[in-house]
Amino acid sequence: MTVALDLDPSKTTEWIAAASPTHPSLLDPHHLVDQHLGINNVPMAVWIDETGTLVRPPESASIEPSPLRDMEVTDDLPERMQLMLNEVKKLPDVAEDYRAAIVDWIENGADSRFAMAPHEVIAASQPRPHDHSRAAALFEMGCHLHDTVGKDAAVPFWKQAHAAHPENWTYKRQAWTLESTPAGEASDMAQEVSDSYGTTWLDDVIANGGGAAYGITPAL
Amino acid sequence: MILDSLTVDPVSFASATGWESKPEGLCKGDQCVPAPEAITADGRLDVSVVANKLGMAIVEDPDHGAFALGPESGGHALTTTTVPDLPFTDADGNPFSLNSLHGRKVLLVAWASW
Repeated sequence: MTVALDLDPSKTTEWIAAASPTHPSLLDPHHLVDQHLGINNVPMAVWIDETGTLVRPPESASIEPSPLRDMEVTDDLPERMQLMLNEVKKLPDVAEDYRAAIVDWIENGADSRFAMAPHEVIAASQPRPHDHSRAAALFEMGCHLHDTVGKDAAVPFWKQAHAAHPENWTYKRQAWTLESTPAGEASDMAQEVSDSYGTTWLDDVIANGGGAAYGITPAL
Repeated sequence: MILDSLTVDPVSFASATGWESKPEGLCKGDQCVPAPEAITADGRLDVSVVANKLGMAIVEDPDHGAFALGPESGGHALTTTTVPDLPFTDADGNPFSLNSLHGRKVLLVAWASW
């Protein structure tokens, strides 16, 4: 199943329609999966067994290498694009191993070496200090105000949320894309415009350790 | 959880946070935290007391009369491996119950258009 975190669900409908999924395709505009499952970026996944129990904590989820990794970074590309692609190339790539682990779990269930015991799942999830709880409350307040008052009312709360939990990329990417996406257009993924937040995706990735530190690589 | 006051009915609180008010205290999964002082005279929960007990942050927007309550803190992001029945909807706005998938393995993938 998939859960889309777009605050504006209309941004997801064309993607869902193009995929024509046979699995549940659900919406979570206020990022409840962050609060309840520990998700902090996309794409990420958790594994849930037949009893509704987690058997793996939230981890970066890819099942095939991104074509961006093989893209040649040429000098004629804008400098910022070169920097961005170089960071993307540094993202850890365990896609094929992750796909194989999923298949192993499907076939072997609880006997799969990739299915974790409850205490292991909990211990492997990220720490949650009080600041992270505050960040979640700030982000949700921002979403509430965005929906009921308007985007400008949300921005101060989202700025505080980003500061309280710098490792949470869903809070940042959602807020940034609302700034950088022209009205009526598909979501901007580069997120290079951020007058309200004073930073960009690329600047924050570099400041937080670069592509190699971006995401939670599955421990397989 | 968005609130308009700092008292809440226990059922709504459980639905939003996964923490149920039981005789032994506030419980989520296998964990229970005694909190008799969190119960008000009319059977509601005092959110300030609960938040202090569970490490939940409270954010207020006085301009719009709203409070936001963050998740429990002080340990790991996961305090239980029991997946709550989160209030997801499908693209048509229809509610969907995660519990309806019991009996099947589920790979839950979070994504976004950005």
